[in-house]
Amino acid sequence: MALTEKMTGSGVRSAAPAVAARRRRRAAETRAGYAFLTPWLLGFVLLTAGPMLASLYLSFTSYNLFASPKWVGLANFQLLLQDPRFVQSAKITATYVLLGTPIKLISALAVAILLNNSHRGKGLYRSAFYGPSLIGASVSIAIVWKAMFIDHGIVDQIGQFFGMSPGGWVGNPAMTMPMFILLTVWQFGAPMVIFLAGLKQVPLELYEAASVDGAGPIRKFLKITLPMLSPVLFFNLLLETIHAFQIFASAFIISGGTGGPAGSTLFYTLYLYIRGFQDFRMGYASAMAWVLVLVVGIITLLFFKSSKFWVHYSGETK
Amino acid sequence: MTTAGVSPSSVTQASSALLRRRHHNSKRIKSVLFHTFVVAVLVVVLYPALWMLMSSLKPTADIVGNVSLWPKGASLDNFAKALHGIGGVSFWTFFRNSMILAVGSVVGIALSASVSAYAFARIQFAGRSVWFALMIGSLLLPIHVVIIPQYIIFNNIGLVNTFVPLLLGKFLAAEAFFVFLMVQFMRNLPRELDEAARIDGAGHVRIFTSIMLPLMKPALVTSAIFAFIWSWNDFLGPLLYLKDPSLYSLPIALRLFVDQTSTSDYGAQMAMAVLALIPVLLFFLVFQRYLVEGVATQGLKG
Amino acid sequence: MKRLTLKAVGMAAAAALALCACAGGGGSAAKPAPSTATETGPVTITFTWWGNDDRASRYKQAIALFNKKYPNITVQTSFADFASYWTARATEAAGRALPDVMQTDMAYLREYTANGHLLDLSPYVGKTINLSGFDKSLVKAGNLDGKQIAIPTSTNTLALFYNPDLLKKTGVTPPTGDYTWADYSKFIAAVSAAGTTTAGGQKVYGGIDYATTFWFFLQWLVQEGKTPFKDDGTFGFKAQDMKDFLTLTADLRKAKQDFPIARNLQLLPKDGFTMNEATSEMSWDNFLAQYVADSGTKNIAMMPVPSGKDGKKDMFYKPSMLLSASANTKHAAAAATLINFLLTEPEVGTIFGTSKGVPADKAQRAAMKLDAGSVDASVVAYEKAVADKVTAAVPIPVKGFGSIEADYKRLGESLSYGKITIDEFVKEWFTDSAVAMQ
Repeated sequence: MALTEKMTGSGVRSAAPAVAARRRRRAAETRAGYAFLTPWLLGFVLLTAGPMLASLYLSFTSYNLFASPKWVGLANFQLLLQDPRFVQSAKITATYVLLGTPIKLISALAVAILLNNSHRGKGLYRSAFYGPSLIGASVSIAIVWKAMFIDHGIVDQIGQFFGMSPGGWVGNPAMTMPMFILLTVWQFGAPMVIFLAGLKQVPLELYEAASVDGAGPIRKFLKITLPMLSPVLFFNLLLETIHAFQIFASAFIISGGTGGPAGSTLFYTLYLYIRGFQDFRMGYASAMAWVLVLVVGIITLLFFKSSKFWVHYSGETK
Repeated sequence: MTTAGVSPSSVTQASSALLRRRHHNSKRIKSVLFHTFVVAVLVVVLYPALWMLMSSLKPTADIVGNVSLWPKGASLDNFAKALHGIGGVSFWTFFRNSMILAVGSVVGIALSASVSAYAFARIQFAGRSVWFALMIGSLLLPIHVVIIPQYIIFNNIGLVNTFVPLLLGKFLAAEAFFVFLMVQFMRNLPRELDEAARIDGAGHVRIFTSIMLPLMKPALVTSAIFAFIWSWNDFLGPLLYLKDPSLYSLPIALRLFVDQTSTSDYGAQMAMAVLALIPVLLFFLVFQRYLVEGVATQGLKG
Repeated sequence: MKRLTLKAVGMAAAAALALCACAGGGGSAAKPAPSTATETGPVTITFTWWGNDDRASRYKQAIALFNKKYPNITVQTSFADFASYWTARATEAAGRALPDVMQTDMAYLREYTANGHLLDLSPYVGKTINLSGFDKSLVKAGNLDGKQIAIPTSTNTLALFYNPDLLKKTGVTPPTGDYTWADYSKFIAAVSAAGTTTAGGQKVYGGIDYATTFWFFLQWLVQEGKTPFKDDGTFGFKAQDMKDFLTLTADLRKAKQDFPIARNLQLLPKDGFTMNEATSEMSWDNFLAQYVADSGTKNIAMMPVPSGKDGKKDMFYKPSMLLSASANTKHAAAAATLINFLLTEPEVGTIFGTSKGVPADKAQRAAMKLDAGSVDASVVAYEKAVADKVTAAVPIPVKGFGSIEADYKRLGESLSYGKITIDEFVKEWFTDSAVAMQ
C-alpha cells in the first residue's frame, strides 16, 4: 500500500542544472501535496491526534468539566480494576466479541459459499442479505429488536412453539446477550459481500484440478477455498472484531441508557458514556478509553503478526 | 458442470441425449432446491424488517405476541401519531435536521476526501508514507478515545448544541474510510492521463478538477451514499451535541419518543421507526448496486 | 518531515489541553451585581422543567397567563423526564449555558451551588419576588451558604397509595393505623399469595419491593431517630442500617412475592401499580394525579407510610419543585419576574392544583379548585389528615445526592434480580458514594 519514496542519488555529477530542477520540482510537489492534504492534516491534528493525547493526559486526572483537571496519577486506573461495573462491562464486551464475531463470520461465509454457486438472482440475493447491515446498528432496528424480544413477545412465542422457554429475553439478564449476538449475526450481509468478492477470485481451475485428484467438497473447502480466502478472512475478522468492541447505539436504546437489566447489557462503550457524559467523571472515562485503545491495539498487532502464519496472499504484488 | 464428453456413435447418441436430459432435469431440480433454500434463509433474515413494517400498520394490541404477520385491522393511525411529533416539536423538524446533517456530511466528505485522496494517490511529496500510515491507523482507532476531548473543546468554544461539531469532521476528512476508498479507486486510474495533462502545462489543481474528479464519479457516488446513510443513522454524535429538542435528528427524536410513550403503544413506536428508516431504504433500493460494489471492493485490496 | 509531524502533533495536543483546561476557573470570576429594576424592553428567557405531558400542558397555560401580564417577556420552554433532565442540565452547566429559569430539586442544589451555577435571588426577595405568603422554613430550604439560590413551589410528603377495587378482588384488607414496615411486607405477601389475576391474565401482586427506593430508606432512618446527612456532609447512618432496611423485603424477594422486576422494567414508563397489576405503591403525595391518569381509575386511596418501631410515623415535608435562575443569565430581572409569577400568582395555583405538590404560597393554596372527589381535593385532604404525623425535619441532601440515589436504584435492580446479595449491595453503594461525594 504505502509506497516508500527513496530518491537514490545519481552518481553522476555532470547534470547540475537538472539536479537543481529536480529539487525545485520536488519542493513544488511537496508544497502541492501539503496544500491538497491541508483539510486532512487539520482534521487529523485537531480531531484525532490532538484529542488522543489530551485524552491520555486526562486519564491521569480527575475532571468534571466544572473545575480544572486535577492530577491524580494512576488513581483512575487503580479504581478501574476494583470497579465491579468496569469488570462487568469488560466481561460482557469480551463475551460479545468472542461469540458474536465468529458466529457472524461463519454465517457470512456459509451464505457466501451458498450464493457463489448460482448464476441466477445472485445479485438480488446478495443485495437482499446485505440490507440488514445498513440498518442493523440504527436506533430504529434497536427499537424493533427490543419490541420483538420482550417477554411474551413474538420471539418468545415462536420460541415456545419450538419448545424453548427461556423465561423472557429483554427482562432476563441471562438472555440479553443472546439477543445482542443475534442482532450482530443478523447483519452478516456486509462481510458476506466481501467473502463473495473473494470467492469470485478463486480460480475455478484449482477446483477442477482437485476434482480430478479425487478431492471431495470438504477437502476442496479446506485446502483451496480457505487458503485462497485468507486475505479476505483476515480483513473481515480484523474489522468485525474492532467494530464489535464499539457497539453503542443498540445497547443504549435497548437498555434505555442504563446497561440493565442488572447490568447485563453494560457494554464497554456504554459504561464509558455513562461515566463520561452522565456522571461527568471525564478523567475516569478517558482512562477507560485508553484501556480500550490498548486492548484493540494489542489485538490488532496479534492479528497482523499471526497473519504471517495463516494468510496466503496470491503472490500478486500491489 | 459440463456434460461428460461421450463419443458420438449412433448407438450411444440416444443414450447421451437421455443422459443430457436427465442431467438437465437434475440441474433444474438442484436450481429449484437452491432457490427455495436461499429464499427460506432470506425470509428468516428479513423477518424482523417485515415484522417492523407490518406492526406499524397494526393497532398496538395486535402486535405483542401475535405471531401472524398480516395486519387484521390495518390502518395508518400509528403513522398519524408518529407524525404528530414530540414535546411540541414536529416530525418534519427532526426530518429536516437529519437532512441538513446528512447532506452536509455528503458535501463535506466529497470535498475533503477527494482532495486528500488525490494528495495520497497522485502527488509524490515528502512524508507521504508516514501520513498515509497514520490515516490507515485512524481507521482502526476506536473513536471513544477522542470523543471526550473533542466534546470538551467544542464545549469550551460554545459549540455544543449546534450542528458544527457533527459536520466539522466531515469537512476535514476525519473519516478515513472515504479517503481510503478514493485512494484505492484513484490508484486504478491510468497515470498517462496525468502525465499528458502535465505535458500540456496543467498544474495539480487543474489535473484534479478537470481529469480526476470527472473520472471519480463512481467512487464519489458510493461515498456519497455511504456518507448519507451513516450520517442519517448516527446516534452517538447527535446524542452528545444536540441538546435542544428542536435540533434533534431522527435517531435522537426516536429515542425521546420511545422514552415518553407508554409501552402499550408499540404501534406508534414501530411507525416512527419505519419513518426514520425510509430515506435509508430508498437509497438502498435505488443504489444497492453501488453500495454492494463499494463494500466488495473494500476487501479485495485488503 | 517526521520532525514536522511531531511538532504539529505536539502543538495540537498543547492546544487541545489548553482548551480543555480553560473552562476551569470561570465560575469564580466576579460578576457585576444584577440590577433589580424590571426590564421593559422585549426580552426572551428560557425555562425548563421535568415532568410528563400533563405537567407540560399546565405549564403552557401558566406561561400564557404570564404573557398576558408581561407581554414583553417571551418564554422559551422545554422539558424532559427526570433522569434525562439532570443529564441535560449537567451538560449545560459545564458549558455555563444553563437556562435562565429552571425547576430544581433538593438533590442537586448543593452541587450546583458549589460550582457557582445558580443565581443568588436574595436581591429580588421582598421586591420582585414576594414571599410573604411563604412559611419561613420553606424559604430557608432553598438558602445555602447565605445565598437564596432556589425557592420551593410546593411541598410533598410520602404516602402509601393503593387501589381499593383491585384490593377487594384479592380479599385482603388494607393495612391500618400504626402498621409497621414488617406489617406492610406481610400485606404484600398476602395479596401476592391470593393468586388473583387481572382480566389480561396477569398475576396481581401486593406491591413492589420498596426497600430499593432511596427516599423510603431515608424516611425509615428518620423514624429510627437518625439524621441521614450531617451538617458536615457525612452520613448519619452506617452500613448495618442499610442492611437492616434491605432485609425488610428479603423474604418477599426470596418467595418472589414482590412485583417482578423483569416485568416492571418492561412496563416503563408505567409500572405494576399503574398497570393495575399491583395493589399498592409508596410515593410522594403529588403523584396521585399521575396515578389516576395512568391507571385509568379515579379510585386510588392514600394512607400514611408505615410506622417505625415506636409506632411513630415521623413524616416530613419535602420542599419540591424549586425554581432557580442561572448565574449566567443575561436577564436576571426577567427571570426573577417569571419565578415570582410561578410562585405567587394565585391562578397558577389553580392551574397546577396539587400536581406538583401542595403549593407553598398561601394565596395559591387558597386558589386551588378543590371540587369534591377531585385529585386536588384528595391530596389536600390527605395532607390535612396526616398533618399531626408530620413531625420530623426533611433530610437535607448532601452534595452528590443525585448520584447516590441513582446508585441505590441501580443496585436495587441487581438485588431484585438476585445478582447480588444485600452485603454486596451495601459494600458497593458505600464505595461508590465515597467517590460521588468528592
